[in-house]
Amino acid sequence: MGEPACVPPGEMSFSEALGELESIVASLETGQLELEESLARYQRGVELLQALRAKLGEAQQKVTALMGELESEPVDAEG
Amino acid sequence: MPEQRVVSVSEAMSLARNVLETVCLRVVGEVSEVADKPGYRAAYFTLSDGEAAMPCLMWRESYAASGVTLACGMLVELSGNFSAYVPKGRLQFVARSLTSAGEGHLRLRVAELARRLEAEGLMRPERKRPLPAYPARIGVVTSPRGKAVHDVIRTLRRRYPVAEVLIAGVPVEGTNAPSMIVEGLAAAVAARCDVVLVVRGGGSYEDLMPFNHESVARAIASCPIPVVSGIGHEPDTSIADMVADLRASTPTAAAESVAPSVEEVNATLVKTGRMLDRALHHRVQLAVHRVLLLVNRPVFTDCSVLTGAMAQTLDHAQMALRRALPRRLADDCERVERLVREVGRAGSHYLERAGESVSRNAARLHDLSPLEILGRGYAVCRTADGGAVIRSAAQVDRGDRVNVLLGSGRLACLVESSESEVSDG
Repeated sequence: MGEPACVPPGEMSFSEALGELESIVASLETGQLELEESLARYQRGVELLQALRAKLGEAQQKVTALMGELESEPVDAEG
Repeated sequence: MPEQRVVSVSEAMSLARNVLETVCLRVVGEVSEVADKPGYRAAYFTLSDGEAAMPCLMWRESYAASGVTLACGMLVELSGNFSAYVPKGRLQFVARSLTSAGEGHLRLRVAELARRLEAEGLMRPERKRPLPAYPARIGVVTSPRGKAVHDVIRTLRRRYPVAEVLIAGVPVEGTNAPSMIVEGLAAAVAARCDVVLVVRGGGSYEDLMPFNHESVARAIASCPIPVVSGIGHEPDTSIADMVADLRASTPTAAAESVAPSVEEVNATLVKTGRMLDRALHHRVQLAVHRVLLLVNRPVFTDCSVLTGAMAQTLDHAQMALRRALPRRLADDCERVERLVREVGRAGSHYLERAGESVSRNAARLHDLSPLEILGRGYAVCRTADGGAVIRSAAQVDRGDRVNVLLGSGRLACLVESSESEVSDG
């Protein structure tokens, strides 16, 4: 039931992964699932959580100029 | 070409000033930038109409006489002449008289556009879209130079480095600014941004004019992704601010509004992790509880439950039997008594009849009795040792003892002789 194709958490965007994690928590909280299904979802939830933590920890902001030439920051020294 | 005299800068500027001072005008325009400090000998200000700006001054005495207090955004009418400030080579208009012309012309135009767009429903609260909670790509439409763009980048780097930042660097002042801002928005959409910021740092009211442009307002209103404005020009509100999904007061505030902070996200993850654990724990507890319920069911704790129904059936049968037996016995006793009574009745009747029969038979028996025959003189002879009736002389020999029964009494006899055939007659 539910997700037929489980995307590897590493390939998901932050908000996709967080969204799926939230829906897993919500479905677990109903207590309506079979025990086996609950365990499977819990495992998926833990994987998502780990991936999200990793993303947050490793993130290096990427800045791209779509138009115009970005002038280097005049106050770089203090920033 | 006639030969021209070479002049000094001072002479050149003086010539220009003389020419300018012949141009006397009445000018209407909006006041922007006022420098009116008590120590100054003149009030310095700029007059503008959104397309062009004109530096002005008014000598202290004339200014005081006008009774007007200059303020940004005011629409005023001046009369005076152009001049030049020779030491700086600067053009200026020297106002001789000044009258207020009510609300600033620019503001009037902007207010009129705002009313029109509002009437179209472009500023309705229900049009405001919620911002994505965790944007993957954040577009920024702003000048690639200056403080604003770096405020945004720094804020996003600090708060939410997970997101990619895409900068559409466009001019935010000048005549082509509105069309370039519209293009920048389109570029952010084409780059599949989740949200776009339209920002610029503070400036004069004229500087703000591109963000009051109808084409920019319409591009923001029809943008397929949420738009956050951050145009630092408090207390003025641009039309871009009014039609944006969210208005932030500054570029930094706009960046803050568009991304969660890493700390917040971390806290959310920790909380979600706990909820996940709790939910599973709860689910397992539910299963354990169900098993315990089963384990404690009487079937497993007391096996008599399995046979209980049958045992009860037996008990019931037994009880029924107990109830039934005495009744049967009583019935039987009654029957026996009845039978006994009947037998009794039948017995006495029978005895009467039997008595009659016996006496009748006794009389007949009497008639037939051998004793009766003996009484008539016959005798019965028996062997002494066995008592057998002797019917033939051959049964005895001489010397045998025989008993002879008479009609009355008995004789013990010794055989002297026997003859087999007695010829009678």
